[in-house]
Amino acid sequence: MSKRRGSGGSAAEREGAAGGSGGTRDTTPALGTRGQPGSYRRAVEGAAVALTRGRFGDARWSYLYGRDTSYAPEAAVDGQVQSAARRMRGGEEIPDTVQGPVIKPAVWTWEVPLYFWLGGIATGSSFVALGCDAAGDHSSARTARMVTLAAALPSAPLLVKDLGRPARFLNMLRIFKPRSPMSMGAWCLMGFSNLAGAAVAADVLGRSGTARALGAGTAGLGLYLGSYTGVLLASTAVPVWARSRVFLPPIFVATAAATGAAANRLVLSATGLPSGHPTRTALGRVETGAMAAELLLSSGNEKRPGSAAWREPLDQGRPGQVVGARRPGATPGAQARRRSGAPSRQRAVPRRGPRFPLRVGGCG
Amino acid sequence: MSAAPTEIAIHREGAERMGFFTDTTVCIGCKACEVACKQWNDLPADGSVFRKGMSYDHTGSLGAATWRHVRFVERLAPSAAEREDAASRLAAGGGGGVPSLPVDGGRWTGDGGRGTVDSPGDLDLVALAESGAGEEEGSGGVDVAGAVAQMDRWLFMSDVCKHCTNAGCLDACPTGAIIRTEFQTVFIQPDVCNGCGYCIPSCPFGVVDRDKIDGRAGKCTLCYDRLQDGLEPACAKACPTDSILFGPYDELVDIARRRVAELHARGIDGAYLYGAGDEPQDQLAGGLGAFFLLTEAPERFGLPAQAESPIQENAPVATAAGLGAALAAAGAVVATFVLSHRGGRRR
Repeated sequence: MSKRRGSGGSAAEREGAAGGSGGTRDTTPALGTRGQPGSYRRAVEGAAVALTRGRFGDARWSYLYGRDTSYAPEAAVDGQVQSAARRMRGGEEIPDTVQGPVIKPAVWTWEVPLYFWLGGIATGSSFVALGCDAAGDHSSARTARMVTLAAALPSAPLLVKDLGRPARFLNMLRIFKPRSPMSMGAWCLMGFSNLAGAAVAADVLGRSGTARALGAGTAGLGLYLGSYTGVLLASTAVPVWARSRVFLPPIFVATAAATGAAANRLVLSATGLPSGHPTRTALGRVETGAMAAELLLSSGNEKRPGSAAWREPLDQGRPGQVVGARRPGATPGAQARRRSGAPSRQRAVPRRGPRFPLRVGGCG
Repeated sequence: MSAAPTEIAIHREGAERMGFFTDTTVCIGCKACEVACKQWNDLPADGSVFRKGMSYDHTGSLGAATWRHVRFVERLAPSAAEREDAASRLAAGGGGGVPSLPVDGGRWTGDGGRGTVDSPGDLDLVALAESGAGEEEGSGGVDVAGAVAQMDRWLFMSDVCKHCTNAGCLDACPTGAIIRTEFQTVFIQPDVCNGCGYCIPSCPFGVVDRDKIDGRAGKCTLCYDRLQDGLEPACAKACPTDSILFGPYDELVDIARRRVAELHARGIDGAYLYGAGDEPQDQLAGGLGAFFLLTEAPERFGLPAQAESPIQENAPVATAAGLGAALAAAGAVVATFVLSHRGGRRR
């Protein structure tokens, strides 16, 4: 109470402000010190706010409609309130004008779909590494582990960039929350990236047995990394995602397998693996199977009975255009592969439509 | 009654569930609650737009910097003819007119010129009120009685975070920034939130949003700072008609139930509680800590008729489907490689 600004107020008030006692009423501020810059620290530890009535007494004191008014004198009959709510919320008649939108759109930008794509490649690639090891093609497995790491490395920075407060990215690992798919996904991505890095390091150091074990661990975490993104979207209030809850995660897994295999085939072809090598054959088969599975799942989902209620964003507006453009892209690709029977030798990577429009289809 | 939430993060002796009961039948749409909320919580302005001829509600919707929002539900939508009329008068440079008060011939002539209107769209509302309703019948002017009769269909609802028992945002938050306080309200800790944005599509009521400048998610705190000092939240304190009631949850539900009974007795059959007093199978997100008395279908107020925490509803099924598919995919990949290599060797 070093210096008081201004000289207004009665002598008693000034005295009260200065000493907190002796005046007619106590005007010692509960927070901060009079005449000093504002602070959240109380002048006296545990001091109550002046003029408060304990236990929210001021709320009741200011209440206009007491028991003696005609505001709410009647007691409700049993079931009256419940049945009124059921009648009005029951949707017997949909109002002619609906105020909306009821929910807020997701604020995620391009980083997140790009991460979905890269995370899918990393997951699929970890499966490929596991498959190559199981089949005995350890040099291809080594390449696949490198592809896994290369796809996983940019993922975390992309997600950090999308945060509203990127400097606080470590808060993602502040708690372990099984309830939240994003918390589990953050932990899973961290474990996956570290294991993938360790596996590549073991390869570089020539410890192939360790590398194989670490690669298998990476693929184990990949089971969740490839599917949680679909779970994350399905666990929102966005109807087109939430209603696809059974289909969305498997679609993500299918696209992960397809893109992972395609990325590996591209890298292996570029690094001189001859065409006709069983690994390339297997990669082509994985691509074909995964693409067929994705098409089956997504068209099955969209054509489900009752889908008309939530599939509007897939047909209309800009998302609808993108999804529409995907269909003619993916379908002939799969048909060409089915016709040729064996994987095409001309193209290292199948020509396919953009993969993630379906995933961001509900954004708009 | 709703089940007690189990994830209370802060414990204090004697604290009980506190909430809001917002009675839309006594709301006058003054938006004092919005102002009080902005002032107490130091929230910035986030846009004020009059949607031309569509609504007098100029403060948009709930958002990162609007934690209370009085929604105007105007059932007086202009008819196609009125729209056309207004458009033609706009084109003629005479103003668009007030669509909810149909101006006959663009000139109000009631009461001997006292309320003369110069431009067709310009209603002298003061003169109109002074002259009294009813006189204008048959005078070829404004149908004031008709307009007044429609006025009771102009609804206001002070919307706010519902502080759900099964809160979607709280379930989604990966950092633990969103917690349940000792008053069983849902609170975003501003020093923890890193703006991941997952709570935004996880809210079935569209309450939470991320501030574009601040980068963090924001929503009503039920004035947690005031509650800790035993004070009423700012909006409830400011409400001049006590449309916003604050108090212990059970007490509020009791008042609300009696209010519904009273309104039913007065012949307002549409009165019902949104979010409280329901049977367990009808509850909205397990019961709302901030509930409402409405007289129209919830969709009219931009509220969903049914709501549940999306994570509690979908995540277990989706996770099972995803992990199952991933296991199948990994197995299929390994099998394809093994079989291809066997076939390759045979060849």
